[in-house]
Amino acid sequence: MGFWLELAASGLITGGIYAVVAIGLNLQYGLMRIMNISHGEFLMLGAYLTWLAHTTFGVNPFALMPLVALALFALGLVVYRLCFQRIARTAPAVEVIEARSLLVGFGLMFLVQNAVYLAWGADLRGYSYLVEPVEIAGARFQANRLAVFGFAVAASLALLALLRWTMLGKAVRAMMQSPAGAQLVGIDTRTLHPVVFGAGLALAGVAGGLLSMVYEISPSMGEPYTVTALIVITLGGLGSALGSLLGGFILGLVEAFGMHFTSPSLKMVLSYGVLVAVLLARPKGLFSR
Amino acid sequence: MKTTREQLLATLACGVVLAAAPWLLSDFLLALALSCLMYAALALSWAMFCGPTNYLSLATSAFFGLGAYVTAWSLGTLPYGAAVLAGGLAGSAFAALIGAGVLHLRGAYFAVITFGLGELALHSITYTEKTYFHTAGRIIGDPPENAVIYWTVLALALAAAATAILVRSSRLGTALRGIGSDEERAQTLGVATRRVKVLAFSASAFFPGALGAAMAVRWTYIEPLSVFNPFIGFQTVLIAMLGGAQTLLGPIVSAVFFTLVSEFLRLRFPYVFLILLGLLLIVLILYLPGGLASLLQRRFWRAGAR
Amino acid sequence: MPGMTRSKALLAALLAVLAWPAAAQDKPITIGYAIARTGPWAPGAQVTQEPNYIMWAEQVNAAGGLAVGGGKKRKVELVGVDDRSTMETVVRTYEKLMTSDKVDLILPPWGTGANFAVMPLAQKHGYPMLSPTATGRKLVGMKNPYFFALLQQPDRMMDALAEFMVARKVRTAAVIHVDELFGLEQFTALEASMNAKGIRILEVKSYPLGVKDLSPVLKAMAAKSPDAFIALSHPPDTFLSTGTAKAIGFNPALFYAAVGTAFPVYRDKMTPATVEGVMGLGTWNPKTSPAAKAYFDAHVARWKKEPDRWASAHAWAGLQILQKAVEKAGLDRKKIRDYIASAEHDTVIGKIRFKGSENVSTPGVVSQWQSGEFEVVWPPDRATSPALHPKPRWN
Repeated sequence: MGFWLELAASGLITGGIYAVVAIGLNLQYGLMRIMNISHGEFLMLGAYLTWLAHTTFGVNPFALMPLVALALFALGLVVYRLCFQRIARTAPAVEVIEARSLLVGFGLMFLVQNAVYLAWGADLRGYSYLVEPVEIAGARFQANRLAVFGFAVAASLALLALLRWTMLGKAVRAMMQSPAGAQLVGIDTRTLHPVVFGAGLALAGVAGGLLSMVYEISPSMGEPYTVTALIVITLGGLGSALGSLLGGFILGLVEAFGMHFTSPSLKMVLSYGVLVAVLLARPKGLFSR
Repeated sequence: MKTTREQLLATLACGVVLAAAPWLLSDFLLALALSCLMYAALALSWAMFCGPTNYLSLATSAFFGLGAYVTAWSLGTLPYGAAVLAGGLAGSAFAALIGAGVLHLRGAYFAVITFGLGELALHSITYTEKTYFHTAGRIIGDPPENAVIYWTVLALALAAAATAILVRSSRLGTALRGIGSDEERAQTLGVATRRVKVLAFSASAFFPGALGAAMAVRWTYIEPLSVFNPFIGFQTVLIAMLGGAQTLLGPIVSAVFFTLVSEFLRLRFPYVFLILLGLLLIVLILYLPGGLASLLQRRFWRAGAR
Repeated sequence: MPGMTRSKALLAALLAVLAWPAAAQDKPITIGYAIARTGPWAPGAQVTQEPNYIMWAEQVNAAGGLAVGGGKKRKVELVGVDDRSTMETVVRTYEKLMTSDKVDLILPPWGTGANFAVMPLAQKHGYPMLSPTATGRKLVGMKNPYFFALLQQPDRMMDALAEFMVARKVRTAAVIHVDELFGLEQFTALEASMNAKGIRILEVKSYPLGVKDLSPVLKAMAAKSPDAFIALSHPPDTFLSTGTAKAIGFNPALFYAAVGTAFPVYRDKMTPATVEGVMGLGTWNPKTSPAAKAYFDAHVARWKKEPDRWASAHAWAGLQILQKAVEKAGLDRKKIRDYIASAEHDTVIGKIRFKGSENVSTPGVVSQWQSGEFEVVWPPDRATSPALHPKPRWN
């Protein structure tokens, strides 16, 4: 019995990380139909900023999270203003926004990745934090993985609470449901769009900072996370933050159990198999409205 | 160039001119021309289906990789031309198989699923090769001459252009455009939308499959990670949309422009070229939203594309 | 008038003749290469290969240049481009370097796949390649006369590991390997060596590149209490296996991870205390010889970072061989190739002689982290320190 609990716990921990990466992207896509394919690059930036600050000043990485969030939020406002605002204003249809933001995302991907290659080189970097094992109910886990999981779940729940119970959150959800209707009731979409975009990047940056405690970092580390985020938000349903949280956990569990019963080599086959199966049954994802 | 006949003749004429390249160009310039032709063919075949229907397919990498593996598996027993054809057919078959299951999805869902197909194919082939053939990659023993590879890819590009021209002016093309503007309405008007979509998706997948089979011989060693490169899919979408996915000339011009500009930047600015490319891309999309085709239309003729 | 024109022509010819040797003297030796500066191959290429290329060219030029054929010194000009970790770009770039730019010499790209792609071009256009980051029987089996692989083949390296295990009476092992040519070839070689020496493999699992969690796999292996744990892994999985094993309390007497252990960042990220006793693919360290120390110090001074303890030295050795070849045989590439193929070379990792494409001189080596240095612990005649066996427990 203990073994299955450990396996499930492993899956949930990985899933928690997937979830927090996906929620940021979901906000941007669900609200603004911005397909930010460069999402992972901002995760990578968060990782590098955390690594730099920790190795230079010795600050506790968890304490750096608010700073990283702020920095990437500010960056998000700038990126939105320079790159995406024009698309939102000039595009005739929603598919066009998706298509053009996808292409702009590619441009951003090249830009951000290469800037980091120039600044810090292609070498792998990293540091160790909280690597001692922690024992819970007879099962052993790496302390940093547990901490990342805890932080990820807390951040996701906080965001969900924000969306459900605050005025700001209600405004955002209103905009997601009906942009025109939201404007009619006086919600200022022009201010909210950059704020939500910035929040999405902030979440990505925090996810990156958390990951830097566990894994080594490199300029190309972001892309696989963008892919995973896309799978998770598709699985959970576009526009549903709760769907992203649960979708992340489901994906993590599928991978953990799947790898155990078949072979680690089939991890990706399983993940995509599950995605295809879900979309066949529920074409808009598990929790879409 | 209004009539289908004129467009086909123009394509043929270009083909004749371009066929002289192996005698006129150095190895490097020939390789560059090869790249231009490859991306032109990829972009044209992508736009053939995704242009009128507004689907966002990232499956190009999957078909390309599959085609490359067909060559890796068969080049010893089949001649080069046959392997290329087999690669194309493999691409079409794979597209038909999955098309039935995924073409009811739209937008981002479809994009993510098609992206996943490349990953799926990659890992499935890795697993099969490892478990049943105890190998991780394959060596291509006797590759054909550069000129032969070039003419093959040229032929594929011409075929892609011809197919695109024919589809546009056919009932299939009309049906696709109808599906793109309002699928339900098309159904009520009697279009067998599912069959049409699978047919067109499958037909357009022939070209990436054949191109993968054709290009693989240049690399000597084929392994899943290098041939199932998602970047090929991204770049195809980029080029087609930048050029204008609803037009004929747009993807072609964009392919040439993009290939030449990236190569120039890569050689001239060895450390910062991706930054420059990224900036260029962003500026182009923000300020030239109609794609490069809109530039052409303004300059040379009125927007009379069908 | 005809007379005046003829004198002008003579004067021009005289000036040309006088100027000619000066022009030839200033013309640098062009050495071209494509290397990964971006993309998945970049971390390896930028630690192991390109820094050595650049440092070598700088050292050579500081000494006045390469003495071509033992005669006049000419400076070296590197022409390096980013290949973006893409096969087609690699091929196209070398086509340009060899046929359009007609560079004097080439240096190889990073990794087995890219080297496979360049080999036919090297043979077709007659450019010898000394490759420090390509390995495998398939590569050597191509019998390409212009290709020379500097790294020890998998069977040598795995044999050395198996010999060490026999010497320390290791009886059982659990193995994981990455789903890729490198992992597969290393495993095939390891299995053969271990079977020959009667060491039992309790369990084998393979995994794809990019795996993020190996704890279930390692826990299952820990439950079988093997004497040795061997990961035939790439850097990310090396880091992951080490961290996971420590976290779950898996303390086999022998812990080996193939690639990545030789990188200084492994010690720096995991901390010297964690990596103490971990073994891996290595060949050298600053204590191996005075020449090795000189190379190490120069690298640290130039790049403010250490070279890795596996292929960095092979890269440097390749450059040393090339330099000697140019000094002996000039810029006739066929002569350079013949010289490389036949002579015994003195390099920073010892003597190297090639049989076909294979380096048959450098033996298989097992290295181990001890007090912040990746010591050579096997074979005994090359060891810089005795082995720590069993590995100190993590907890």
